[in-house]
Amino acid sequence: MANPIANLQRISAEYSQMDKKDKRRFWTDGILNNALYILMLAFCIYTAIKQPNFVSWGSLGNLIVQVAAYLPMALGIAGCIVLTGTDLSAGRVCGLTAAVTGVFLQKSDFANKMFTSLPEVNGWWIAVTLLTVIAIGALIGLVNGFFVAKFSLHPFIVTLSTQLITYGIILWFFALNGNNGQPISGLSAEYKDFVGGELFRLGPARIPMYVLYAVILTALMWFIWNKTSFGKNMFAVGSNAEAARVSGVNVFWTTVLVHTLAGAMYGYSGFVEGYRAGSIAASTGLNYECDAIAACVIGGVSFVGGTGKISGIVLGVVILRIIFIALTMLGVDSSSLYIIKGAIILCACSLDMRKYLVKK
Amino acid sequence: MKKILALVLTLTMVFALSVPAFAAEPQVEVFWYEESDVYLSTVRAELNNELDALGVKYNNQFAGTDQAKQLDQIRTAIYGGANLLVVNVVTSGDPDTAQAILDEAGDIPVIFFNRAIGTDGTDNEVLDAAEAACFIGTDAPEAGHMQGKMVGDYVVANYDEIDLNGDGAISYAMFKGQEGNVEAIYRTQFGQEDADAVLAEAGKPALVYFDAENTDKYQVDLDGAWSAKAATEYMDTNLVTYNEANGNMIELVICNNDGMAEGVVASLQKAGYNIDDGHVVPVFGVDATDNAKALIADGAMTGTVKQDNVGMAQAIALTVQAVLDGAAPVDALASLNDERFTIAPDCAGKLFVAYAPYTGE
Repeated sequence: MANPIANLQRISAEYSQMDKKDKRRFWTDGILNNALYILMLAFCIYTAIKQPNFVSWGSLGNLIVQVAAYLPMALGIAGCIVLTGTDLSAGRVCGLTAAVTGVFLQKSDFANKMFTSLPEVNGWWIAVTLLTVIAIGALIGLVNGFFVAKFSLHPFIVTLSTQLITYGIILWFFALNGNNGQPISGLSAEYKDFVGGELFRLGPARIPMYVLYAVILTALMWFIWNKTSFGKNMFAVGSNAEAARVSGVNVFWTTVLVHTLAGAMYGYSGFVEGYRAGSIAASTGLNYECDAIAACVIGGVSFVGGTGKISGIVLGVVILRIIFIALTMLGVDSSSLYIIKGAIILCACSLDMRKYLVKK
Repeated sequence: MKKILALVLTLTMVFALSVPAFAAEPQVEVFWYEESDVYLSTVRAELNNELDALGVKYNNQFAGTDQAKQLDQIRTAIYGGANLLVVNVVTSGDPDTAQAILDEAGDIPVIFFNRAIGTDGTDNEVLDAAEAACFIGTDAPEAGHMQGKMVGDYVVANYDEIDLNGDGAISYAMFKGQEGNVEAIYRTQFGQEDADAVLAEAGKPALVYFDAENTDKYQVDLDGAWSAKAATEYMDTNLVTYNEANGNMIELVICNNDGMAEGVVASLQKAGYNIDDGHVVPVFGVDATDNAKALIADGAMTGTVKQDNVGMAQAIALTVQAVLDGAAPVDALASLNDERFTIAPDCAGKLFVAYAPYTGE
């Protein structure tokens, strides 16, 4: 697949050699395997006709901004899915780390600053905060991974538990120092600049710094998945844990590390979230994992385990965001948005499994 | 194949970039913090009618209690050509959130409604600084004060009947809709404080929270959805320990909204209270939804504070019209001449729709 043009030539050469039956199968398979993309294309064209604003620089910028915001969590959770697991704690971990970020980086002269003894916000302190929240995320991920690997518990159960525990900690955290559950706001200008400062402009749309960070994280994850032995081990464990164990892969540590890495990514998501929402409330992060899991599944990271690509995850996030943007612009009630999203996930999973069943 | 299609997919967005597109007609986007809030559903029904009558194009968008999602929706709507935003913020009571929305909106006018964008006047600064923004809502503490007074008056008038175990004190339960929400905080505080003030005036002892171990003195919907479900579940659990057989029955219930009050009534009815010939544990809510009014008519619920959904919807619709006709939001508010509406004394950009007590009379 390295060179799309050579690839096309090869396919057309093969196609001309086929007999009638094979040709028909070529088309039906081709259409079914790519049904989601063909449908999305038709959907985009329809939206562009109904709402010309859909196709504009501003709209494209808006898409990029949203993809950058949703991508890191999906990249993290994808590892858990490759291991045939899942992670329900992602959203709450993001909420907790967002709250910690908010408290660490409140303006020093803000009237309702929760901890007045914290230092003035500067570059160093922002770096300390970023590392702290990534560490908090990683720690919760470590707990997830430990219980999954050590006691062979299904990740669904383990992460459901940590989701609830984390939410409890969030509520407790929001009540600290007489804050009384109020949203955390008064975020410092330095922080807002660091996360949301203008990278460049795309028409009327401001592209913030976190788009750059998302690109870096995507590259980093691509490297980890494809170029390190840890990444290879992850796929081996995901395909067949027993076989991986026999061939000398440390299944315990691979599982623990995949969850830890995922937790670190949620920590980063939380760091950005405070800027995106303008302030952080106790409910921040609720159900964020659903979108992330959906994006992975749409992008071909299979719950069967052992399969998935970084490019697929990016594509999954892009598709989900296009659906959101298009339906919002078309003025479709968000009630229908849920139905459409659900139908697309179901369709994507069925097509995915179809490929798998055919192979078998 | 997949890669090529993906490429085409993104390129479709870029291809027709040269097509200049401007929405010629007014397009109003209405953003709601979530879709199932009972009172806001009644506002929405009225507002849809009002906007239909005005003949403007409008869309309703729901954020599912996710502020970041709401900002995504707002940004998307702006690029989609919206020229007036009507926003029910998710994170209420926080001027920074309102500011973030105004930053996205730029020159496009924004009408905030229902959920307050600041506490204790912190929203005035944002509203005063913004050229094209206003707030239409209620004076957050007013509902709490009104509910508290209603509860106090009722308890004073029916003291012995309410005091089931005859110990001379009324034990009450309080249900809070959401942590960190201004309306919820004020209603929880004043619903009980003002009732106690009325009781003290009449020489009666103050209300006693039913569970001495709970220092919060309220139970809160942990999902922040002000839901009947949360109230029912709490009440079902409470009634296991606190009941007439143990001599410590909950004798009065105060709820932040009618949804929760309904949940409490459902739970009490399962336990044999608040039905035709049973004892009625007084339950108070806020909003005066149709369901609550029906329960009050049946005698299963005692009182609520009418949050005027029709008045709210009309105030929004009238402001929408004035703004679309070219008025600044602040001037639009000033032009509303109606005894139900008052401009906040400390901020010209804030309009309050009046509350009224409702006990079915």
